[in-house]
Amino acid sequence: MEIPTSAVNEEARRHAEDAAVSALVDQYAGALYRVAFSVLRNSSDAEDAVQEAFLRVLRHRDTLAEVRDHRVWLIRIVWNIVLDRKRRAKTRPETDDVSELARVLPSKGLSAEELAAAAQHHAHVLACVDRLPTKEREVLLLSAFEELSSVEIAAVLDITESSVRSRLFRARNLMAELLDHNRNLR
Amino acid sequence: MNSNPHNTMSSAPNSDSGRNCGLDCGEDTLRLIAGLPAPAGLEERVHKALRAAPRSLVLGSGRVLAWPGRFRARIASGTALESNWMRAAAAAAIVFVVVGGGWGVYSRVQPGPAGNVIVMPQLMPSSGGIKGAGAIRVPATIPGPKVKQPAKKPATPKKAATGRHAASAPAPQPAVSQ
Repeated sequence: MEIPTSAVNEEARRHAEDAAVSALVDQYAGALYRVAFSVLRNSSDAEDAVQEAFLRVLRHRDTLAEVRDHRVWLIRIVWNIVLDRKRRAKTRPETDDVSELARVLPSKGLSAEELAAAAQHHAHVLACVDRLPTKEREVLLLSAFEELSSVEIAAVLDITESSVRSRLFRARNLMAELLDHNRNLR
Repeated sequence: MNSNPHNTMSSAPNSDSGRNCGLDCGEDTLRLIAGLPAPAGLEERVHKALRAAPRSLVLGSGRVLAWPGRFRARIASGTALESNWMRAAAAAAIVFVVVGGGWGVYSRVQPGPAGNVIVMPQLMPSSGGIKGAGAIRVPATIPGPKVKQPAKKPATPKKAATGRHAASAPAPQPAVSQ
């Protein structure tokens, strides 16, 4: 029995695409997790978002060859997923940032008390970040990723590089004001 | 870890990309979170999830028409909302074209001039039968009460004509005495 050549080609192509997706998982799963965690601040939600992102990649795997920068493309996918989840989660009660941070933050050389104080401080900063306008907040969060340049942030958010810089400028000023204001209240 | 010279947050302290707030702006917190290591075994769990994904999801959702190649990568990276929005816009455009085309044809086609009207003789009903010949049935009415005719008065003599009419009027005959 003769197997048609087109079927063999199709099978080979599918195997190649599966291998490419697997390579992407090995290479970028960690980076995507960090992006997801920076928005969702919950490890299991962040992991779910990463899985969903790769499922979406698998669904559109025939477009892999057309993508120029896989890293930015993947970050953009997971970014949209986490923003969508965050939007939906607004109706649910906020997760306890302090306890979650205390669980995941590095605790080397810190006593339990210091760790709790650090977690408190970080939670306070994150609460200020949450009060920023959406556009400024997004740029500030992405700019914390040292792997991402302003050009890449612009590509992820689909804006110009100058917009990234101006939004970051405003975000930093607003953050300083918010933190000063809170410090004066104490 | 910072190997990217273009990163806006890792720029020099005297850069113009915002207030030089350093730790005060909470960037240390954001960097700390951004630098968190991924949980152990994350890749393996993702691989497992991809293997367990239903076939229909992997092969696509069975759309009849696919987007052109250059749009597909954008749709994949965007949210479902973006994709749905584009689909809705495309559907609306198709409806617009179809309805607009239909209306164009309808508005161009004028009704033709009315033809010469020929009055046809009214056809007689073919069922036949006896005709009424225009007769109207009058219902029988109850006879009413009979009123007696008043007795006839004797005729009164006419008054003598006066004034102007008197000249023209014929002179009255003198009464004949018996």
